[in-house]
Amino acid sequence: MEAYLLNLAILISIYSILAVTLNFIMGYAGIYSLAHAVFFGIGAYASSYTALNFSASIFITLPVAMAIGAALSLVLALPALRVRGEYFVAASLGLQVLAVTIFSEWKGVTGGIGGLIGIPPVNIAGLEIYKPGEFIFLTVVTLIVVLVVINRLVHSSFGRSLQAIRDSESAAAAFGKNVPLIKTISVVISAALTAVAGALYASYLAFINVESFMLDTSVLIMAMVIIGGTGTQAGPIVGAALLLLLPSVISYLDFLPQTEIGSIQQIIYGLGMALLMIYRPGGIIGRKKVTSAGGSK
Amino acid sequence: MLALQLAITGLQTGAIYALTAVGFSLIFGSTRIFHFSHGATFIIAAYLFYFVDVSGYGVIPAILAAASGAIVFGLLMYRFIYVPIQRDEGSFFTVFVASFGIGIVVQNVIGMVFGRGYVAVQTSLSKSVELAEGLYVAPLAWIAVLCATVFFAALWYFLRFSTTGMALRALSDNPELVRVFGLNPKFISACAFAIGSLLVVPAAIISGATQGLNPAMGHHVMLISLAATIVGGIGSVPGTLIAGLVLGLAESLALLYVESQWTEAVTFAILFLFILLRPSGLLGRSATH
Amino acid sequence: MTDTHTSSSDVLLEIRGLNKSFGGVKAVDEVSMDLRAGIVTTLVGPNGAGKTTFFNLITGELTKDTGSIRWLGQKIDRIKPYQAARKGILRTFQDLRLFNDMTVEENILTSIEPMSFPTFRTRAQRAEQQERVEYALERTGLADKRHTLANDLAYAERKFLSMARILATDARLWLLDEPASGLDPQSYDRFLDILRVEVKKGVTVCIIEHNLDIVISISDRIAFLDRGRLLADGDPETVLNDPELTAIYFGERA
Repeated sequence: MEAYLLNLAILISIYSILAVTLNFIMGYAGIYSLAHAVFFGIGAYASSYTALNFSASIFITLPVAMAIGAALSLVLALPALRVRGEYFVAASLGLQVLAVTIFSEWKGVTGGIGGLIGIPPVNIAGLEIYKPGEFIFLTVVTLIVVLVVINRLVHSSFGRSLQAIRDSESAAAAFGKNVPLIKTISVVISAALTAVAGALYASYLAFINVESFMLDTSVLIMAMVIIGGTGTQAGPIVGAALLLLLPSVISYLDFLPQTEIGSIQQIIYGLGMALLMIYRPGGIIGRKKVTSAGGSK
Repeated sequence: MLALQLAITGLQTGAIYALTAVGFSLIFGSTRIFHFSHGATFIIAAYLFYFVDVSGYGVIPAILAAASGAIVFGLLMYRFIYVPIQRDEGSFFTVFVASFGIGIVVQNVIGMVFGRGYVAVQTSLSKSVELAEGLYVAPLAWIAVLCATVFFAALWYFLRFSTTGMALRALSDNPELVRVFGLNPKFISACAFAIGSLLVVPAAIISGATQGLNPAMGHHVMLISLAATIVGGIGSVPGTLIAGLVLGLAESLALLYVESQWTEAVTFAILFLFILLRPSGLLGRSATH
Repeated sequence: MTDTHTSSSDVLLEIRGLNKSFGGVKAVDEVSMDLRAGIVTTLVGPNGAGKTTFFNLITGELTKDTGSIRWLGQKIDRIKPYQAARKGILRTFQDLRLFNDMTVEENILTSIEPMSFPTFRTRAQRAEQQERVEYALERTGLADKRHTLANDLAYAERKFLSMARILATDARLWLLDEPASGLDPQSYDRFLDILRVEVKKGVTVCIIEHNLDIVISISDRIAFLDRGRLLADGDPETVLNDPELTAIYFGERA
């Protein structure tokens, strides 16, 4: 039981990082990405490849994962952010689909469908961290660091620019904001921090394959942000915890078919997303009515 | 001969893509509603046809079931999701998320009822006939092209000559103008949903017979619809039609050079090239504002 | 933003032969005009005369079909809106476009922070910015609403916030799109006072306005647009006493 809870807590903190980083672009910049799991995957594969072939030191794997995540996010951001929001949704969906193919086909790096096994544990200056009881500290500390970084950004002039763009792109531009550049930077920052979550995830499980980085994961992360509360500090974490606890709650309810837990979970959060948008678009934590998140003018 | 074979398959795929995408494009272009659960409409129609057909009621009842299921779902989405959201200033975000959420629900409900694996509609029409040496074409290919032609001709006639059709075209530019016609904008929007949803029915049925069905294919349908809408030019029905055909042909002809798992990458590449080089699309207006 | 000084007769913005049409309809038709430093020019004309389009062309929100626009003698035909802002050309919008989910103070602060990169400000910069925010808050009477979300403001307050954003900047040219429409008489007076003080400090204003009382009391010069064409451009008395123009203006309004 204790091991089970510990495992859940580690997963919640990793998914919280994913939700917080997605919220950074979704809630503050109004960019709706269906490709968040791609950068999660890039972080996981990049750090695993580095750890397996060069060094398992966290001071090498993390920077590599972040740099590759950031660089590849430009592929999505540069073209897709010059145009309207719908284009980004389409482009990110396309990238997600393409990335799954690449993750399953590029055997030399990703291990193909079978994935990578025997990924070394996190190594901090010679100290190997693999026991869940120790790993939880690593993930929680990382989550806190990510939260602090994003909190600082949001309350800086850069964060204000992002929110201004979210509320009215044309007015932000009229006051000197280089809208495509600011949006691109926000996507790059988000992707780099997302890759950190990927690196932690890979070394925690010691095994990864493409199944963790498919469209379903992107959708799950988006649901966490939306249900918790878009554009709030605590919302994404609440959303991550809720949605990860959901399967355990469902499995307690004996009258539900146990083989369908995954489907029931998805139905609940799908329905939750739709109902929240009608009655409480700000999410559980957010304000009752969001008037113009993603305003188009 | 292989190229010709692939071109004909591509034409069939293209006809299916065009039908699906034009449905989405019509709804988005006229109502400005980002109907992301259009993919759900597709799988509802496909599975209803499959279910009624497998149950032995025959093809005609199956088609009717698929068509009414699609239209009813489209109208329900409009009435019970989009109208309430738009009552208080529905942004792109709220509409997209709600629609997306319902799409997830539909996918999983269908997965629970029919299973998550592939099922296929059995028909002799999908058996290939050797037309020339080395050239095999199933009658379904011609049916797909014929269906697309008939549906698009009817749609063109409707948009061009009926009052409702003209009001539909005017809706996105000027809802007030629609009132001047003496028509209710909500009624016209509902029409857009009914017609847009109906258009996916032939595509869904034919896909069920050619490639088989899977509850998760709604996302693929949406990728194609979005890509064709953008490549064709947002708001342009003829543009989306051409783009759908082009994407289908490109996917198929790409098999001359790459393996089949990369066909979606071809769609993605075309979409990206357009976003990069010509964001207004083939026949669209300016995309930046 | 620029801080070079020019004498009051200098031409800030020189517009020659400007054209823009939308699907065959000419929205701006061969307009030539000079905006001189320190002068209030009012654009009047019936709805649909092309006044807002004219603003959109200057700030780069729209690209012209033909013609030229020069800012301090330098061609600016191809600039983007954010570049226009950085050169010192700022505007308000008829539909305000406030940053609705940000507070009043944040709305003003973000308007004077043009940077696109995450940067740190020195204490002195911070103080200077805060001073400008306070000035804008005080002039527009929004000081005690500083922590209110823009979205929760009353109509007149929203209009003043739109003014406060521009007031806090050091822009040289203000393009104001119906900033006073729908205001009560008391707010009118506040608005006029804001404008007079800033013009005296050297700001150049081009304003779209329908209320003739306001037009008369603030204009140094009136430009009359109708169906995209500049029908008259001169001192207020001449333009307002032209029977032909008043016929167009009031005929359209009646």
